[in-house]
Amino acid sequence: MSNQIETADLMIYAMSREITNHDTALHGVSSPLPVLAMSLALKTHAPDMAFISGAGGVDPDIERIYLSSFDPRQNSGASGYFGLHEVFDLAQRGELKVMFLGSAQIDKSGNTNLSFIGSKDNIKVQLPGGAASAFLMPITPQVVIWSTRHTPRTFVEEVDFVTGQGYNHRSEAQMENEMTIVSNLGVMNFKNSNRVMQIQSYHPGHSVDEIQEATGFDLLVADDVSETPVPTDETVAMIKAMDPDGIRMSEFGK
Amino acid sequence: MKNVLSSVEDAVKLVKDGDVMTTGGATFHRAPMEFLREVVRQGKKDLVLIDREPAIDFDLLIGAGCVDKVRAGLLAFELLGFAPNFRKKTEAGEVITKEGACQPIIAGFRAAAMGIPSLPVKGMLGSDLLDISEILGSQMQFEDPFTGEKLIAVRAIEPDVVVLHAQYADEYGNVRIEGPKYEDVIKAKAGKTVIVTAEEIISNDEFRKNPDATCIPHFLVDAVVLAPNGAYPCSCFNRYDTDYDHIRGYIDAVNSDTFDDYLNEHIHGRASV
Repeated sequence: MSNQIETADLMIYAMSREITNHDTALHGVSSPLPVLAMSLALKTHAPDMAFISGAGGVDPDIERIYLSSFDPRQNSGASGYFGLHEVFDLAQRGELKVMFLGSAQIDKSGNTNLSFIGSKDNIKVQLPGGAASAFLMPITPQVVIWSTRHTPRTFVEEVDFVTGQGYNHRSEAQMENEMTIVSNLGVMNFKNSNRVMQIQSYHPGHSVDEIQEATGFDLLVADDVSETPVPTDETVAMIKAMDPDGIRMSEFGK
Repeated sequence: MKNVLSSVEDAVKLVKDGDVMTTGGATFHRAPMEFLREVVRQGKKDLVLIDREPAIDFDLLIGAGCVDKVRAGLLAFELLGFAPNFRKKTEAGEVITKEGACQPIIAGFRAAAMGIPSLPVKGMLGSDLLDISEILGSQMQFEDPFTGEKLIAVRAIEPDVVVLHAQYADEYGNVRIEGPKYEDVIKAKAGKTVIVTAEEIISNDEFRKNPDATCIPHFLVDAVVLAPNGAYPCSCFNRYDTDYDHIRGYIDAVNSDTFDDYLNEHIHGRASV
C-alpha cells in the first residue's frame, strides 16, 4: 500500500512528528505542508500543543487550506489571535519551540538560501526572500525545513548566499538547537558531533543511495537509519479532508 | 476631533514622489488596493516600499513603474509563485531590492512607533543578510551594555506614508479592524502620514458605543477614504475572500507581456470609487 501514498502525505506525517505535545509551533507564508503537519499533530499526538498560525489565529480548527497560508479562513475555530510581532517576542524569549521554514538551496551545514541564485553583483534568479529565516533559524530549538525537490541543485555543498544560518554560522549556544530536513526523498538531520547533514530515514520506495545521488555533497548516514514511517489510512484521510482540492500538491508541480 | 474624510484622489495627493511607504495587511489580505490603483493613476514615481511580507500590493506599483526601491522580508505570491513584476524588474536592474527579514522590519516599525532610534533583536547574526544591512546602515551588530550579549540594532523605520485598509472608520479617523490586524496598529503609530481606507464609514457615536473595538484612535490618522471592496482582489475579513482567479490573470498578464492591458482594463479604464 505504500506505493499508493502521496509523497506530500508522507512528508506531512514526518513533519508532524517533529512536534511533541506541549510544543508551541508556528508556520509562515506559502506553507501548505506545515499547516497540515501542525493541524495533524494537534488532532493526533500533540493535543496540548499551541498552534500559532501565520494567518494570526491560535489553535485554529483547519477545515481546509487555501492558496495563501495567511488566508483568514484558516483561522476558523481559533481561540484568539496572536500577531507575528508577538510570536517573534515569544521566539526571543526562547518559547517558540518549532518553526517550519522553506529553502531554495540548503547545504551540508544546514545553511539555507532564499535570497538569490548567483552572486550579489550578478543575480541570476531573484528569489522571494527568507522571511523569518535569518531571525528564527539560529534561535529556535527545533527548525523543520521542507523541500519538495531533492536534487544536487537544491542540496548543494555550499549555498550561494546564507539567508538562514546553518551550524557553521552560529554561536556556541545556538549549536544546541536542532534542525530537521524533510524532503521528497527522506528525512535528514544534524544529530552528530560535527553538526553536518545525515540521512535519518528514506521514504518508502527510495534508498540511502538514491538520496546520496540526489545530493551535491557527501552525506553521513545515521547509525539507526530506517524507512520513514508510513501514515495510516486514517491519517491520510485526515490530511485529505483538510485539503480536498490537493493544494498540498502544488509545491510538487512540474 | 478633526474631520479627515477625503476622496481617494485627494488622499493619494498626500503621497509624494520618492516617499517611503508601507501598506497594511499581509500577502493577499487587507492590502489597500483601491488606494494603490489611484497611486498608479496619478503616476507616482520613485517610491521606496517597505514591508515584511507584501504581495500584489507592492508588485502592482512595481509593474506600473512607481517604485525605485523595495525592502521586504519576502515578496512572493504565496502558492501562485514568484511576484512577477518584482522578479522581472529586479532581475533587469530596474528596481533595487534591499532584502530584509520579517523581524528586523517589524522591529524597525516598532522603534519608530516608540520614538526611539533603534531596537535590538536576536537572531540575524551569521546571515549574509546582515552584511547587506550593515552596508545599507539599517542593522548593526552591538553588545548589550548590561549582559554583553551580541545583538542586532535595527534602525527605526518611519514611513512617510502608511496606508491601511479597514472594515470600519469614522470621519475623524477612528478605526476598527476585524480579524487579524498584522502590524497595522504599529504602522499607524510609526508613520508620518497615515491614510486609512475603509469598507464602511460609520458614525462616531457607533465608535463610542464600543471603544473596545477601536484599534487605531483618530489622532493618529490624517485621512480617511470610503473604499468599498477597497482590498480587492485581496481579502477583507468578514467581507470578501481573495480572488485567486483574478490574481492568476494578473500573473498571466505579466508573464505574457500584456501587463499594460491589465493596467488599462483594471485601473486606468476604471474610475476610482
